[in-house]
Amino acid sequence: MTSIIKFTALSGAHDEAPPCYLLQVDDFCFLLDCGWDPHFNMATVESVKRQAAWHLHQIDAVLLSFPDQAHLGLLPYLMGPMELKCPVYATVPVYKMGQMFMYDLYQSRKNSEEFDLFTLDDVDKAFDNIIQVKYAQTVQLKGKGHGLTITAHAAGHMVGGAMWKIGKDEEEDIVYAIDYNHKKERHLDGALLESLSRPHLLITGAYNALSVQARRKERDQALLNNILTTLRRDGNVLIAVDTAGRVLELSQLLDQVWRNQESGLCAYSIALLSNVSYNVIEFAKSQVEWMSDKMSRMFEENRSNPFQFKHVTLCHSLADLAQVREPKAVLASMSDLECGYSRDLFVQWASNPKNSIILTSRTAPGCLTHTLVSNLKLPSVDLEVRKRVCLEGEELEAFKTKEREEKLANEASEKEAEVYESSDEEMETGDHQATPTSPSLPPRVPKHDLMMVEEAKARSSFFKQTKSYPMFLCREDKTSWDEYGEAIRHEDYQPKDLPPPQETLPMDTEAEGDDKSEETAVPPTKCVSQTVSINVRCSLSFIDFEGLSDGDSVKRILSIVKPRQLILVHGSPDSTNHLRDFSLSSLGLAKGKLFTPHVGECLDASTESHIYQVKLTDSLMSAVGFSQARDSELAWVDGNVQFTSAAPSGFKGQGEGSGDGVQQRTPLLNALPHNQVKGHPSVFINPPRLADFKQVLNKAGLQAEFSGGVLVCNKCVAVRKGEGGKIKLEGTVCEEYYKVRELLYEQFAII
Amino acid sequence: MAKRKAETSGPAEESDLLTIRPLGAGQEVGRSCIMLEFKGKKIMLDCGIHPGLSGMDALPYTDMIDAEDIDLLLITHFHLDHCGALPWFLEKTTFKGRVFMTHATKAIYRWLLSDYIKVSNISTDHMLYSEKDLEKSMDKIETVNFHQEVDVNGVKFWCYHAGHVLGAAMVMMEIAGVKILYTGDFSRVEDRHLMAAEIPSVSPDLLITESTYGTHVHEKRDIREARFTGTIHDIVARGGRCLIPVFALGRAQELLLILDEYWASHPELHDIPIYYASSLAKKCMAVYQTYIGAMNENIRRQIAVSNPFVFKHISNLKSIDQFDDVGPCVIMASPGMMQSGLSRQLFETWCTDKRNGVIVAGYCVEGTLAKFVLSEPSEIVTLSGQKLPLRMSVDYISFSAHTDYEQTSEFIRILKPPHVVLVHGEQNEMARLRAALVREYEDNEEINMEIHSPRNTQAVELYYRGEKMAKVMGSLATKPPHEGQTLSGVLIKRGFNYHLIDPADLSSYTELTTSSIQQRQMLKFHSPFSLLHHCLNQLTSDAEIKMLHGKRAVCVFGGSVSVIYDDSAETVSIEWDADSVTDMYADAVLSVILQIVSDP
Repeated sequence: MTSIIKFTALSGAHDEAPPCYLLQVDDFCFLLDCGWDPHFNMATVESVKRQAAWHLHQIDAVLLSFPDQAHLGLLPYLMGPMELKCPVYATVPVYKMGQMFMYDLYQSRKNSEEFDLFTLDDVDKAFDNIIQVKYAQTVQLKGKGHGLTITAHAAGHMVGGAMWKIGKDEEEDIVYAIDYNHKKERHLDGALLESLSRPHLLITGAYNALSVQARRKERDQALLNNILTTLRRDGNVLIAVDTAGRVLELSQLLDQVWRNQESGLCAYSIALLSNVSYNVIEFAKSQVEWMSDKMSRMFEENRSNPFQFKHVTLCHSLADLAQVREPKAVLASMSDLECGYSRDLFVQWASNPKNSIILTSRTAPGCLTHTLVSNLKLPSVDLEVRKRVCLEGEELEAFKTKEREEKLANEASEKEAEVYESSDEEMETGDHQATPTSPSLPPRVPKHDLMMVEEAKARSSFFKQTKSYPMFLCREDKTSWDEYGEAIRHEDYQPKDLPPPQETLPMDTEAEGDDKSEETAVPPTKCVSQTVSINVRCSLSFIDFEGLSDGDSVKRILSIVKPRQLILVHGSPDSTNHLRDFSLSSLGLAKGKLFTPHVGECLDASTESHIYQVKLTDSLMSAVGFSQARDSELAWVDGNVQFTSAAPSGFKGQGEGSGDGVQQRTPLLNALPHNQVKGHPSVFINPPRLADFKQVLNKAGLQAEFSGGVLVCNKCVAVRKGEGGKIKLEGTVCEEYYKVRELLYEQFAII
Repeated sequence: MAKRKAETSGPAEESDLLTIRPLGAGQEVGRSCIMLEFKGKKIMLDCGIHPGLSGMDALPYTDMIDAEDIDLLLITHFHLDHCGALPWFLEKTTFKGRVFMTHATKAIYRWLLSDYIKVSNISTDHMLYSEKDLEKSMDKIETVNFHQEVDVNGVKFWCYHAGHVLGAAMVMMEIAGVKILYTGDFSRVEDRHLMAAEIPSVSPDLLITESTYGTHVHEKRDIREARFTGTIHDIVARGGRCLIPVFALGRAQELLLILDEYWASHPELHDIPIYYASSLAKKCMAVYQTYIGAMNENIRRQIAVSNPFVFKHISNLKSIDQFDDVGPCVIMASPGMMQSGLSRQLFETWCTDKRNGVIVAGYCVEGTLAKFVLSEPSEIVTLSGQKLPLRMSVDYISFSAHTDYEQTSEFIRILKPPHVVLVHGEQNEMARLRAALVREYEDNEEINMEIHSPRNTQAVELYYRGEKMAKVMGSLATKPPHEGQTLSGVLIKRGFNYHLIDPADLSSYTELTTSSIQQRQMLKFHSPFSLLHHCLNQLTSDAEIKMLHGKRAVCVFGGSVSVIYDDSAETVSIEWDADSVTDMYADAVLSVILQIVSDP
């Protein structure tokens, strides 16, 4: 029995680019994650295409670890323009939040530039292929993958994050675990990679192999201090976060802090700004069972949903944000500052020394965030500022003429058809995109139905509150009073003449002035971009909220997991080499069992695995005596293989559904007759630690002390550990010697 | 005590006997509690109370068992007859195993039982447990997600969606290769917010199923709903008040969804208020809004747009004091069987007016007022002992989400379990179902199905020939096995899994490491080396002289024990690697040397 295991890195090997790997197990081909970098580098796609010239239609399943762009960004493109068709496996939150990530990404791009790599329909189509699973749910693959099972295990980092275990015949496990976080956080419990111990093959990342992290408490304190000082000096804080992953941890933390009266923060405002902030928080509310034990306990006991925010205001646009009173702290997407509101705010706020910008993750190389993090003292950056502006002057005229012509043409064709339904159709399209059809005029209003949900916010109670009877309209504004008189409504005092900053950057003052332009709700727009040099005068800091295991922990976990083969990917050359050297020295892995592939390299990790089943007969089992070692029981058996002619009819194999037709004959293992049993050397299993053994000796009333690493008992017996775990027992011929030896033997499982 | 257990656990693990013993819900409805024993593992399924009884009488027959021995307790859903005795069992007995339920069940369990404590405080002095016990029990309960596999000391189990109520689960257990499915209460019909019970992808060897509705066949969902809304419409149209006694949670949410929709489509009814009198429902609102993962596809899709559990025509009634009883209205009130509480109070107030009506919408247990009312008596007795004439209309429209005969028999037909154990059904219903199932399969040659319906405390005993399969791995398995081959190695038992490997492979397949012990014993020795050699050669006849550590040494027993002779210090030291045989050799060598020392 040989299992073929082939591994190809399509992206994210020997560098920090988003992960995307091909894994072939026998005839079945998995695509492990499919990340796309923030610039939509076509090289990844090319690499996939080239590698996948024969692969693409061969990919049988996609496994997704996390919902962010770096882990599933390529999915809509693969499923859309590249027409990949296969099931995709992801946990329920990865499915939900992944959609949020993609919607936000699409919308952020669309807000500032022409974006046509994929459409929202592609996103929906891609996510329709996702098969949602739970943690620890074993999925048995069918067809070509018969005999393979896949299981997702909690990986921390982001809600629903998964480490995948691919099992073959219940024995040969392949574990794919990257970007996991073993630490408990506010909203997530840590990954338990240790529980997947001794896999046949482990594919893991070296991303953080060299990083050292501050303690969580200090880190949180640094963040709060930064926010508080900035707000107190009347500056605004921009915290660049992702759409639906790490943002949950941060927003939950900040809302909690804001609730604390003593923090002194309640006087200021805090907002969460992304295109899908409302939905993200709604979904987070319904995923309590995926979060930490503490969270679900809190919910069970107090019915207070941890994501029912008291202070965080949810905003969908810069206009919404403008309503929030300054000074304010804003959590805005994207974390890479490549697009989205965070970039807009960066451009606005960076030059004011009062403000503070906090970056929370390093993101992929080449991003603005990455540049800033690597040099926090950067005096200025040259940025390409993209924006969507309204048409004016000649362009507007040209557009109008074109529109008119089209309208005429339309009318003409309508007349020809002599039907009036077309107006309905127009209405329909008008619902979706306010501007009439024109390829150069992408909609401003989000097309997707998930985007507009503000009305739902108004009503959060279970039941109807008041009963209304049919009557004439009469709006009665309720006035609320407190001890100082009527409560002040901020809207009443807002200067009416100033139009809310309509998603346009304040620097383009020339763009304001086309009020008269159109009777259509959304004026025609175009995308322009210019390179601007921005002076970074605000305070700029990087506080690590990536939620990934640090270097030391990665190594510690590796040495517990002890894979039999190891593939290291996703990490800079330095960290990859560092982790490789560590693995070679500390894991006892042979050279041929450790791989650090380069992008495009196809490596063969096939192994011959030897497994067959035998049935243990009662005669054999009644003769063996088990001894306990950790969680298992061990015994020595001497048996005799025997093929019976007739297998008992009531036989039930372990491997259910193994096809009724192919009933393999299982040999019996009989007890060997006593006269044939050859003795075997005793096997000493599970050696004790000397320190533990000392306790045992002391308990037994023997004096024992360490002296230079040697445990000396009653000054006449010495116990020491030699190389290779060998234990040496020395002493004079005395009673203690035998006592110590007896106790020492008791510590082992001896068979 | 410990000794007795040691004796019993040994053979129990080897035994092929599987027993299923209902401690409650055996030929009755209420206090579900089923004990399952196999291979020394003891599992309790559900731990409910009997709604028709009170105090200790309501408990299942837990005195039949030793709570301390139970490894695992699984709760299928939050109804009192499935989890009502849990705080008592966790806090007042010696139970120390693990308890599991789904997230939604746990969240509702907390508030439902707290409500139960409050309600029954009025009627019974003899409380089984207090609010404090309930709170403490929360810490002991672990949660499990649907489809998530959990392994507890070799017992593997996972849950399927069961329909019925939010968070209701069917549990599949696997012990030593034998699969047992316990359905709890389940429904195979999708309704407004819950999905139909799933059909497990693997067929169990034993099915423990509810039989509440026996051989009844339910009305079609749309007909039933039309009858329900029609009846209500009639009652309020004739100026009457409509009482719907319901369990505060579970089916009530389904009825609310139906009513809200009906009112929305009938503007003429907008003047007539619908009240939902339950403080509990308000408390559990957040639960319903949170665990949408346990609901059906419709709700999951809808929730992204707006929350269907925000009702437009239904008001919450905090207490009876707020209620202004002036004209026609619809009230849903708990408890569902009108044992006491608000539904009883309203019933007693309204039952004398023939314009009013009561709609019993759920299953009623023998001995409750709701069940009594269904027999259309002319008089009822109030809680205070007064007799009142019953003039209001009584209708029975079952919305309880239990399977009917069609669903149950279809479920069994698909799974084809060799053994079926019926629980959770009145004696007669259960007998009818059993007869019907026996009839269905008696002429079937291919399927041999046995159907059991044990009484409380009566055990069903089944034998499963437990095959012990071991996987031979590593260097032992490099060649395929052949007849008569001798296999020697370490057998590792973990739970019910066996592996056979070579000791050298131990560290590469398990977390266990092997080690060796080198021993050295020293003693004073004044005689010459030649004497030592001579005597040892007498012992073994293969004594060899070697140089070890730069000193002369005698190696005996094929070199496994060596005696090093140190001139200058006048000592000898015996060296060997620990092993049961070699230890004996060393002892022999030592005795020879001691003999020389004592008698040179």
